[in-house]
Amino acid sequence: MSERLFNAEQLALLTKVQSQLIPAENDMPAAGSVGCASIVHEFLREHEELYELVLRALDAIEKSTGDASFIQLTSEEQIEILRFVEKSAPEAFAELVRQTYNAYYTRPEIQAKLGIHGPPQPDGFEFPSFDVSRLDRVKARGKLWRDA
Amino acid sequence: MTKSDVLIVGSGAAGAAAAWSLSRNGLKVTCLEQGRWIEKSEYSHGQSDYELARQSEFHKDPNVRRWPEDYPINVSGTPIRPLMMNAVGGSTVHWSGHFPRMRPSDFRVRTLDGIADDWPLTYWDLEPFYELNDSMIGVSGLAGDPGNPPRGVRQTPPLGFDVACEAYFRGLDKLGWHWWPSDNALISEVFGHDRSACNGCGPCDIGCPTASMSSAHVTYWPMAMGNGVDLITHARVEEVTVDENGSARGVVFRDEAGVRREHTARVVIVAANGIGTPRLLLNSVSSQFPKGLANHSGLVGTHLMFHPVGFVTGVFDEPLDAQRGPLGGLMNCQEFYETDLSRGFVRGFELQLSRSVGPLTTANGGLSGVPVAWGAGHHRALGKIYRHAITITVMGEDLPEEINRVTIDPQLTDADGTPAPLVRYRLGANSKKMMPFAIARAQELCEAAGAVEVLVDPLVQDSGWHLMGTCRMGNDPERSVVNQWGCSHECRNLFVIDGSVFTTSGAVNPTSTIQAIALRCADWVSQNFQDLYA
Repeated sequence: MSERLFNAEQLALLTKVQSQLIPAENDMPAAGSVGCASIVHEFLREHEELYELVLRALDAIEKSTGDASFIQLTSEEQIEILRFVEKSAPEAFAELVRQTYNAYYTRPEIQAKLGIHGPPQPDGFEFPSFDVSRLDRVKARGKLWRDA
Repeated sequence: MTKSDVLIVGSGAAGAAAAWSLSRNGLKVTCLEQGRWIEKSEYSHGQSDYELARQSEFHKDPNVRRWPEDYPINVSGTPIRPLMMNAVGGSTVHWSGHFPRMRPSDFRVRTLDGIADDWPLTYWDLEPFYELNDSMIGVSGLAGDPGNPPRGVRQTPPLGFDVACEAYFRGLDKLGWHWWPSDNALISEVFGHDRSACNGCGPCDIGCPTASMSSAHVTYWPMAMGNGVDLITHARVEEVTVDENGSARGVVFRDEAGVRREHTARVVIVAANGIGTPRLLLNSVSSQFPKGLANHSGLVGTHLMFHPVGFVTGVFDEPLDAQRGPLGGLMNCQEFYETDLSRGFVRGFELQLSRSVGPLTTANGGLSGVPVAWGAGHHRALGKIYRHAITITVMGEDLPEEINRVTIDPQLTDADGTPAPLVRYRLGANSKKMMPFAIARAQELCEAAGAVEVLVDPLVQDSGWHLMGTCRMGNDPERSVVNQWGCSHECRNLFVIDGSVFTTSGAVNPTSTIQAIALRCADWVSQNFQDLYA
């Protein structure tokens, strides 16, 4: 097992941050409520450079809260902190966002809410065959290329 | 040390076609490929997280993918990143399969438009090899396009078109512009051995688990190996060696265990793509060729062309579900392909209907280059475009310029210590005039099709699939690297047959032309084999 592990506090912070990045809305759950922190955690064990980036983003978030804990801040204050880190540590923050999106949109239950019921294969999708009469107008224009 | 009649470096689109052609004429052919076979089990299309493959194991950028067989590329000097796959089949392992041909005028730009150089061959010289290539690999499409010269019946009918395509067809008809179902290296009916018809699953760019894409590893390679071609994988070629007469002697490569070996041949063909080929030749320094092999003119690596690409995405009120179905250009519009000086630039561009992507790639900015915003409103923002958007790929002709070039990086190396390429490229003045015009036409099309919003990525950074021009073809040894047969002006048993040889780029995807050139050159090598090494 890799040494690259978030501790419990970091996981809790990541969970809270993710729920601000993708909050709940209508029937879509927040990222922090569907296990995205654990997914990101597992993924980053095998990706050292990305782990360092996400860790840097989490550190920047923690350091931006002064004496308070990010988790204890109001939602508005949390968003303000995240906006600040987005500007002050853009590369790390962008990776944090990307990893959160990766975790969220690969969850089958999230995909189901988006109308996706299974991966692209093996079933694929059926398409109507092409109606060549659609090309009558184009054909009527005649030759459009230059000979050379 | 082993010896072959013909040694091919690279097993991609060009190397595969040449291997098949040469071997059917009875030549003993060996191909060295730095990558490996990609197994069907490696494709992720049957998993809910299939879109992640675009970011990791199937990333199109070798600098990000970083497989052991990939080599690094210094891209600090280019706004467009070169993309490639290092595997059996090369970059045809994961591509869109959009398979248009160049037009006759593409080969005569000096004569017709007074710019760049004419090719030393014509469309009509290549035409039988375009036809042969299509018949060997299987192409879907429809003959009769008034925008292009006549061609034979396509091997399979056009791919299916849905409501998403129909929206754009209405727009095109409203504007009165040309459009036609594209030739695609993607079969719509069963063709060939152990290949299924496309079932429209969608993400062609991360491989094709049904072998419906007419990729080199499922088309030419089984046939070539059936003819006895020896394909050696995990073979990383370091240099092409020469004998005392200045003829190509063979290559030195590292095998899978990292052991340096030599393989000699009567004829050496380099097909390592528009970056890998000049890298190999420039790394092949000897007393006879101090500037690199075949580089008396100093032009090896120069005149790099990419095709500038923009994405213009129409967002519609109604769901189009364009994430379903083949990703690549189902339709092309060549209304603006030929030169019209009233537009303020020479040559032209193509608009390709490129459909859409899944929710993850959409969220990460796959359509506009900008990720969907996080925070309150994220779901609304994603829902507005996911299932509701369809992208037009805008692709312009890239004119050859000597300053756009591949050289050898003074410090960067691959894992074996072989010097890596450095790419310097900047968008030319003509492209800077052309692309805004082209983007505006794509926006006009989106609006005519009924889009309520249009997203624009005016110059896609990750779009350097088309690697062309770095060992240009020509009649004049002072202004070109190889002749019309791909034969080096300086070394008569050394050939280059990949996109490197393009004199100009046209404004269409190059693979069908690359394979037609490879077949034509291979045919000539077979016919003249005895004269090449005697």
